[in-house]
Amino acid sequence: MPELLTPVNFQNTVVQGTVIGILSIGMTFVMLIGEIDLSIVSLAAFAPLMGVLSIQILGFPVVAGLVLTVVVGAGVGLLNGLVIEKVRIPSLVQTLATWWILAGVILVVTEGATKGGFPPEWNWLGSAYIGPIRAVLIFFVVFVIIVWYFSKNTKTGLRLYITGGNENSARAAGIPTTRIRILAFVLSGLIAAVAGYTLSARLGAVSPRFGTEWLMPAIAAPVISGVSLTGGRGNIINVVAGAYIIQLIVQVIRMAGIGGYYSELTQGLLVFVAILIDTLRRRMMGIQE
Amino acid sequence: MNESVPLVRVENLSKDFGAIRALHDVSFQLEQGKILGLVGDNGAGKSTLLNILFGRLQPSSGKIYFEGEEMRFKDPSDAMKKGVAIAYQFLELVEIAPLWANFFMGREITRKIGPFNILDNKKMKSLTQQKLSQYGFQTNVDREVRELSGGERQTLAVSKAIETNPKLLLLDEPFTLLSIEDTENLVTLIREINEKTSVSVILVSHTLSLIKEVSDCILLLKGGERAFFEAADSVSIDKMIEVICSK
Repeated sequence: MPELLTPVNFQNTVVQGTVIGILSIGMTFVMLIGEIDLSIVSLAAFAPLMGVLSIQILGFPVVAGLVLTVVVGAGVGLLNGLVIEKVRIPSLVQTLATWWILAGVILVVTEGATKGGFPPEWNWLGSAYIGPIRAVLIFFVVFVIIVWYFSKNTKTGLRLYITGGNENSARAAGIPTTRIRILAFVLSGLIAAVAGYTLSARLGAVSPRFGTEWLMPAIAAPVISGVSLTGGRGNIINVVAGAYIIQLIVQVIRMAGIGGYYSELTQGLLVFVAILIDTLRRRMMGIQE
Repeated sequence: MNESVPLVRVENLSKDFGAIRALHDVSFQLEQGKILGLVGDNGAGKSTLLNILFGRLQPSSGKIYFEGEEMRFKDPSDAMKKGVAIAYQFLELVEIAPLWANFFMGREITRKIGPFNILDNKKMKSLTQQKLSQYGFQTNVDREVRELSGGERQTLAVSKAIETNPKLLLLDEPFTLLSIEDTENLVTLIREINEKTSVSVILVSHTLSLIKEVSDCILLLKGGERAFFEAADSVSIDKMIEVICSK
């Protein structure tokens, strides 16, 4: 695929990978505590939609719309976390319900149509260049560094790993595990909103179908990069690498003209193999569930 | 603290789980710097008692006095703040985390960088290395706990508990799965800690010979009730076995 290596295509591939990259990082935080968040795909559409509507209908300044986008993401994540931790509903069920509810709200609000006509300031991140480099790429790199630093060098970051590694031990050591687990969902929601915003800024629109195609890649990237499905293990930088492997596969299949169905099939197979490897690795290491 | 006031005084402590009475009217006291051996068959209420003393469970009735003041620990964090530490039967370590992260679990060291509190990983690693060496455990602290032997894990669990400078150290079945050599080392460690720090210890074990050897006094529970509470010197192993096995 020599055309992949042209500077323009290369930069496009890297830019397109930012959405999977950001969503995968959000998913990693819930996987670190041994859970999953399926609602991120509809949240990636819902949160920026709320931000845009606040600007277009309520006359909010763009900055306030952006803040609202992030707050909506974190708020939905908080709601997921509270229900999962306090009502004891499995994360798979709760986040699936949230996914559907939000997808329904989006359809009602947009009447199924793609929502566009955003202010230029909203779209700036998706269209601007800083020198020869796309602004969204610089934003992505800074975002990854901040999140990686948070996960490795803060008390809360370490406690996410410890809580995921053995919740009982963490609780016995005085770590507020319920709060830490709820926080993982807040981070996942917040980061999904960030991913949704970057995509909406690039496309200049929010589609009701936004994000749906990103769910499998967002699960596949952490899994193939070694994030344990039972929690406690994972590295943000590896997850970003995993996201780009997935993106590359999607891109290669698309450029080869094989068609989208094979892209889904390949990703599915990748997830299956990654889960198999993760399970066998844990068994070989003697790690108990 | 007034020397004449016991560190812990438990009065008529009971705990019910629905219709099941796990503890019934248990009373005892433990002086500062003394070791209490807590024995009994499976289901006698030993773990329930420890869990209440560590704030993991709330008693159904009865009172706990800690340093002379009536106390009810609302959770483990509260108990730890007031000077209680525990090393559990199943170790309560995170298998896939490195030693240093386990050693400082719940009491991580941070340093200020601007407005942010950042983990001082370097300091935590070097302190873990240094502290474990003091307990005779030389190792690479970046290793994951799953790579350690049973004895090494117990040493880590006990030294981790003692490093919180507790007034009361609860040890739940610390000799489980240990080799003879590791057991001897752990007994020496418990004695050294007790002598050096004057910490009071409640030691739960099925190994009656070790309990008798290490403890100052023995509390035997049977079916959730106190069967006896006596000085270790005045209790024989045969008597303990007789009471545990009696109908």
